[in-house]
Amino acid sequence: MNGVHRSSSWHRRRRDALAGFAFTAPAMLHTLVFMLVPAGAALYFSFTEWDMISPAHWVGLRNYQEILFDSDLYPDFWKSVRVTALYALLSVPASLVTGFVQAYLIDLLRRGQSLYRLVFYLPVITAEAAVAAIWKWLYDPQFGLINAGLEVLGGTGPDWLGTPGVVIPALALIAAWQSGTAMLIFLAGLKGIPRTYYEAAEVDGANRWQQLGRITLPLLRPTTFYLVVTGVIAALQVFGIVYVLFGGNAGPERSGLSYVLHLYLFGYRNGAMGAASAMSVLLFVTVLLVTAAQFRLVPQQYEE
Amino acid sequence: MSAAKTVDTAPAVGTAPSADLGTRTSGRRRRRRHDAPIALLATAHVLLIGGVVVALAPFVWMVATSFKQPQDVFTPTPNLLPTDARTGQWAGTFANYLQVLDLGGFAVALLNSVIVVVVLIPGKLLLDALAAYAFARIPFPGRDALFLVVLATIMVPGVALLIPKVFVTQELGMGDSLAGVIVPSLVSAFDIFLLRQFFLTLPGDLEEAAMIDGAGRLRIFWSVALPLAKPALAVVTITSFIFHWNELLWPLVILSDQDRYTLPLALQALAAGRVAQPHLVMAGAVIAVMPVIGIFLVFQRRILDGIQLTGLKS
Amino acid sequence: MRALARWVAATAAVVSLAASAACGGDSPANEKVVEFWYYQPIPEQSKQVKELVKRFEETEPTITVRLTEIPKDDYNTKLSSALGGGRGPDAGYLDQPLMARYANAGQLAEVPAGTITESDFYDGALRTNKISGKLCGIPLQQTTVALFYNKKLVSTPPATWNELVAESARVHWENPNLAGVNVPKGEGFGAWLFPAFVASAGGTMLDEGSRRIAFADPPAQEALALWRKLLESSPRRITNSENSFHKGLTAMMFSGPWEVLTIRQQFPQLDFGVAPLPRKDVAASNIGGDNGVVFSKARNPDAAWKWLRFLSDATHNAEFSNITGNFPTNRKAAQAAKINTDPALKVFVDQLETAQARPTVPEWIQINDEYLAKAIEEGVDGGRSPADALTDAAARARKLLGWQ
Repeated sequence: MNGVHRSSSWHRRRRDALAGFAFTAPAMLHTLVFMLVPAGAALYFSFTEWDMISPAHWVGLRNYQEILFDSDLYPDFWKSVRVTALYALLSVPASLVTGFVQAYLIDLLRRGQSLYRLVFYLPVITAEAAVAAIWKWLYDPQFGLINAGLEVLGGTGPDWLGTPGVVIPALALIAAWQSGTAMLIFLAGLKGIPRTYYEAAEVDGANRWQQLGRITLPLLRPTTFYLVVTGVIAALQVFGIVYVLFGGNAGPERSGLSYVLHLYLFGYRNGAMGAASAMSVLLFVTVLLVTAAQFRLVPQQYEE
Repeated sequence: MSAAKTVDTAPAVGTAPSADLGTRTSGRRRRRRHDAPIALLATAHVLLIGGVVVALAPFVWMVATSFKQPQDVFTPTPNLLPTDARTGQWAGTFANYLQVLDLGGFAVALLNSVIVVVVLIPGKLLLDALAAYAFARIPFPGRDALFLVVLATIMVPGVALLIPKVFVTQELGMGDSLAGVIVPSLVSAFDIFLLRQFFLTLPGDLEEAAMIDGAGRLRIFWSVALPLAKPALAVVTITSFIFHWNELLWPLVILSDQDRYTLPLALQALAAGRVAQPHLVMAGAVIAVMPVIGIFLVFQRRILDGIQLTGLKS
Repeated sequence: MRALARWVAATAAVVSLAASAACGGDSPANEKVVEFWYYQPIPEQSKQVKELVKRFEETEPTITVRLTEIPKDDYNTKLSSALGGGRGPDAGYLDQPLMARYANAGQLAEVPAGTITESDFYDGALRTNKISGKLCGIPLQQTTVALFYNKKLVSTPPATWNELVAESARVHWENPNLAGVNVPKGEGFGAWLFPAFVASAGGTMLDEGSRRIAFADPPAQEALALWRKLLESSPRRITNSENSFHKGLTAMMFSGPWEVLTIRQQFPQLDFGVAPLPRKDVAASNIGGDNGVVFSKARNPDAAWKWLRFLSDATHNAEFSNITGNFPTNRKAAQAAKINTDPALKVFVDQLETAQARPTVPEWIQINDEYLAKAIEEGVDGGRSPADALTDAAARARKLLGWQ
């Protein structure tokens, strides 16, 4: 009896191993060909001087050394690091808070939920070129809708995209406006909280604010954690919105020079693809470390 | 179980949460939330309508601009409606749309874009779901290591890999073809991650029952897991659709022949030249966004189910 | 399972169909095909270029020109990835400052002797094709920057730097809500325009012969000081508004001929004029534009040169550059061109005579965009003295070039 059982479980394990490899083989092969090979190539090129159109010359660690320590050759490298860090610090909370508020309010409604969902999702699906044109107009220092609104309220708005210190907050505002994905995911999270929790809290006499603080937010912690991790990864790689808004100029005093824009300009405009590859390796390592740190330091789960 | 947590400690098969899918779904549909009092509802509506104005205004401007004549786009005081800059009379026009539709190759580009999404999205759903299912439910040696490799690829900045990826695609004989647009995008690490989180939440007894009936893994995947995964697949469908429908850079570097251009590439001609033509660009953007809204409307209900079930909740 | 198999087969069929469509359209063996890459124009211009191709093919029945249109911003990305992968076009545009990089990488074929007569072309445009003394391309089109002024605010355009400062100040002090001039910023465009002002003060950017950086010398410092001075009567808060000149908020701007078309189409109510760039000691201007090159791996270089010669000859160069919104590089073509009857455009044509070609070192784009732009930013908007800012930039450029 025992022997039969053992052999059938052995068979099953063998068949599972085969199935596991077979199921993952296409995706792994694809990852190998279209991600790992190019990534390996980028790693190799990071040790070379290479302009894409002539053979690469091996230079060892020189690119890394110069990028990190030579502020003459790369005067704006550390600036791009600061710009990107600030952008992540501002845009991730901005879009998460906006997305949560939208989701929380929508969740209260009896009707009209799907209409609000669509409207708050529209900014996500609008083409990037249109987004840039629209926000340039909204932020215009003379005719912009935002400053016009501030004037009605008795204030004066800054020259949003023309003042170095204001550029990153202005970009974070755009990120908040595009918080539709976070809204949807929060909404799904809210809908998954068992109603009995709230009923019990009501019996205990907790008001809505207390319910929000004691039930809703703690139970949304896994959702929030997921959004923070993916949001930070995306923010550290921000490129599209800066590029369509400012082009290669990166805004006043290059205050919108994100890390990936800096990398792009060196690789594709200045023809320093070797150095750009080194920058991408540095970014990859940083993102990896930041993500790992988040897994270690941030509470992911609601502990009862 | 959190999406995040499963990354370092992948749970063994069969320990997925025991939440009963059926009752959870129908329970949610029946339930009315919180029974909020009228005053609170009114406040929520007021705040949301304020938010709608903010979210919608840019979109409205895009649509309005698409109906404007060139001389009415930039007026000294911003003007939302397509009216004549000097007289204030209604001056809306369909001419921009006609001009966009008249673009050389517009119909071909539309067809190419449709081919790309119609081939690419089912293809990547299948490949990503297969891998995600194995990562979630089938124990095999080296599984966690392989999954970590997939996850790490999310963190590689894409622009840096552009040129090596072009070389690889050309070496495979797919340069300047729709295959070159489709094949390199057939697997998405992010979607594998998302789908894996979903499969982790499936109750194990369904599989056990199927196995006792003698079904193989492929059969279970195809007739048990995949049908249950429809909501999660809807998420992948809509996000992939948005991404690939609007994608510009990859098709641009891989395609040269205009007969193979996708819609964003054809629309790029509207922004070409140093004379900015916002009225045409916006008309093109409106045309491009229509199918996306359609897809969103069709799938949005499923998306909500889907995101909830991707393992974000315990 | 069967459904799956059917579906996979169907997908595979569509993909292979798409792939095989890529290989169609081969031409007869005796026909020579020239694949030519150029910047994507607007649809109307695209049609006109195809007309030109048709006329060329009538004169050269054995040659077929295949056009590929690529957005200007992504042109270099696409071209270098194609050439790097060994699958580039036969011929195409190349932006002037990219000539040296491609030539040094061995990607460009030398122009065969006798293809063109060098003296037919504007000197500034032609010189951008000379890399280490070799002619590596044919100038196809060029452009420059001039002074636009709002006739309601400025009755006589300033001809000198002093007049420019005075006029800008007058406009702003008469109405503080208006700006005098759109002062260039520390970015690619500003750095591109800068050499014109430096040359006007008698200076130069690089002395390539003696391997010396010259853009920190007194003439360059004076040019930067001028821009800084202009900023006093031209607040960024006004000029940063999109199209501030077009809307009548800024009295003058430095810009190129494309603005003439933009204003006529989108701001018909604006009454504007165009004047040469104000000068200090000598008249000078900057130059931009594109050369036609044949790549070293071209399948039919002879046919490709014939096509480029066609585009640059006295008969067709004006038509071609007119289609793309630029100016002819061929003097004879320029004289015959319609642009001479348009007073606004005529100013640009005249000014091309004094255009200063950019340095031909391959690193110039990096020096221009990274170092010089930064110095302009610091020296104009920032608080640094022009001398300090430019000296730093020169030190960086020296290090990059390995000079001294």
